[in-house]
Amino acid sequence: MSTADSADARSRVLAKLRKAVAASGMPGATDAPETRGAAVAGRLAERAQGGPIPTFGRLEEREKVDRFTDQLGKLSATYSRLPSLQALPYALAEALRERNLPASIRMGEDPDFAALSFEALDVSVGPGRVEEPATLSRAVGAIAETGQLILLSGPRNPVTLTFLGDAHFILLRASEIEAGYEGAWARLRRMKADPRTVNLVAGPSRTADIGQQLELGAHGPVSLHVFLVDDV
Amino acid sequence: MTHHPTSKHFKANVAGALRDQDLRQAMGGAGGGLAAKRAVARAGMPEFDATRDAGKAIKNHTLGHLDLYLERYEAAAKASGAVIHWAETAEEAREIIAGICRDAAAEKDGKAVVNKGKSMVSEEIGLNAALEAEGHTVVETDLGEYIIQLRGETPSHIIAPAIHVTKAQVETDFREAHTHLDPERPFPDPASLVREARLVLRQKYFEADVGITGANMLIAETGQSVIVTNEGNGDLTQSLPKTHIVLASIEKVVPTLEDASTILRLLARSATGQETTVYTTFSSGPRRREDPDGPEAYHVVLLDNGRTEMLGGEFAEMLRCIRCGACMNHCPVYKTVGGHSYGWVYPGPMGSVLTPALIGVGQAGHLPNASTFCGRCQAVCPMHIPLPKLMRRWRIQEYEQRLAPAFNRRALGLWSYFARRPKLYHLGARWGMWAFKLWCGSKGALSRLPLAGGWTKHRDMPAPQGGTFQAQWAAAQKAEGASR
Repeated sequence: MSTADSADARSRVLAKLRKAVAASGMPGATDAPETRGAAVAGRLAERAQGGPIPTFGRLEEREKVDRFTDQLGKLSATYSRLPSLQALPYALAEALRERNLPASIRMGEDPDFAALSFEALDVSVGPGRVEEPATLSRAVGAIAETGQLILLSGPRNPVTLTFLGDAHFILLRASEIEAGYEGAWARLRRMKADPRTVNLVAGPSRTADIGQQLELGAHGPVSLHVFLVDDV
Repeated sequence: MTHHPTSKHFKANVAGALRDQDLRQAMGGAGGGLAAKRAVARAGMPEFDATRDAGKAIKNHTLGHLDLYLERYEAAAKASGAVIHWAETAEEAREIIAGICRDAAAEKDGKAVVNKGKSMVSEEIGLNAALEAEGHTVVETDLGEYIIQLRGETPSHIIAPAIHVTKAQVETDFREAHTHLDPERPFPDPASLVREARLVLRQKYFEADVGITGANMLIAETGQSVIVTNEGNGDLTQSLPKTHIVLASIEKVVPTLEDASTILRLLARSATGQETTVYTTFSSGPRRREDPDGPEAYHVVLLDNGRTEMLGGEFAEMLRCIRCGACMNHCPVYKTVGGHSYGWVYPGPMGSVLTPALIGVGQAGHLPNASTFCGRCQAVCPMHIPLPKLMRRWRIQEYEQRLAPAFNRRALGLWSYFARRPKLYHLGARWGMWAFKLWCGSKGALSRLPLAGGWTKHRDMPAPQGGTFQAQWAAAQKAEGASR
């Protein structure tokens, strides 16, 4: 299909669509062009709340952290608290041992990880590989409402680490937990990050496609463990 | 799998479905579990109903400005490096995607290995068959889709495509398909089947040239496409091959991330009773310059395929649908006959409204009739789509276009003749009752009744007692008047 055809399809669809919108009876459909344009520009610029924010999406301080860890439990994920980032190498080595996994870990180029010494572990840096037993990611935040961790793709956190590890470990600072989705979007906008993917991850992968019985470990990780640096 | 609609043969499909013992076993309790889980999830969020109202308002506002939001989405997506393609018809979309696949495999022989995440729109346009006809290899990666691809079937539910398949059937399918594995291997539980599919598909992710996913939403503000999954297959599908194609119908756009939050709060709760799916992924453009992974090319195919006609006509409200499947999980007809009986891609109440719009009421006229109008679909729809009302509109169109079977039309015509002449109607009812009583004779009941064999097979039809309802009502009114 040539570019010309595609451009043609674009104008055909949009021309039909404008007529259809006008006949749709939907709110704003028959307003003057300037009014409609202003409505769209305004909505995109103001980013007003899309609907009510649930009570549990508006929690503060400790309550927020408690909600988040409760949600992790419901999602069949596990977590442990670390007093500081420096405690990560030891805790990770312990966690691998507990799971009978080899003492090796795959991770991205996160400078916080690079500054740590993982002496007891065989560390490799780069994207995920098939049958990677264990991977480590760094969340830039989390959502207490749902228990989702926010991961941004890039050299610091290759996206494939999130999906190819059998056991996925994620480091998160408690101070970076947001109450609801809205806080998460504000955080991402403040960061001015432009990753190819923003991944919200809620527990290990699962499926109920065989006999409607829930099983963990479909295509993504079989287990998910969060190291929560307790800085709140 | 191509979809030659069999919706015209709905009655025959249903008869077959009711005799199918495997289907009866698979569907026993199917939907029921999901309906109960939805109820719990709804109760867990006191703001749920207010959020539904907000969701409906977001969709209505977006549909009222859809031309403008699509232009804004397109501009934002292009700014992050997306290649946007517009397709007016299914055929155009198939050609665009086949062309991208050819280019992606140009270094080989032009035949691509194509991995797919679950996409109902790809089913709608019959994508797999079109790609296979050009020599491409298509691998469905969602476990349910993988199972039905092995079986040569189509999905029977929009979020649980293999809901009609029993565990024993999956076992047989895997033994037939995975011949490189030990034929004596045991499958003690579903987990063992999941593990095998995981291992088989893991390798396939690395062999693929192209990954195709659908989109639950497109965000105008950021130019991102969004998918929600539990398995993680959609993410491996889009992250490992060199080319990622998103196939999305035009009504998937929402204005902002804030609007997306509202839809997300409704979607998983309505679908499976989860507060969120495991993975919610926002994608924009190809991998960035410094990225070690992710696709090198990112294409979005924006498909109309009948949506504009719906928007400008009587069925605009159907475009609010977020494909959660709650309507089918709560539908007594769907739960009895299964998704395949509907004969095309979209089953259940939403399919009964959507299918006639997409393939014509002449093909799919039976579907809007396959409803008891109990109204549960509308009651649970997170987008407040008046599904029974829309089905009724199709029934009217079917009647007006003289598509309904002659027998139904004559029977309806006869009834309406009398219904519009009350005196004649009452007279007819009295005579009918009298004749029926006479026919029943001294036994006071009939053990066989023409046209109602299914009913009298299990019980007798009793003779009418007393006068007609109208006569009894009149008598009661009179008695009440006298006693006052």
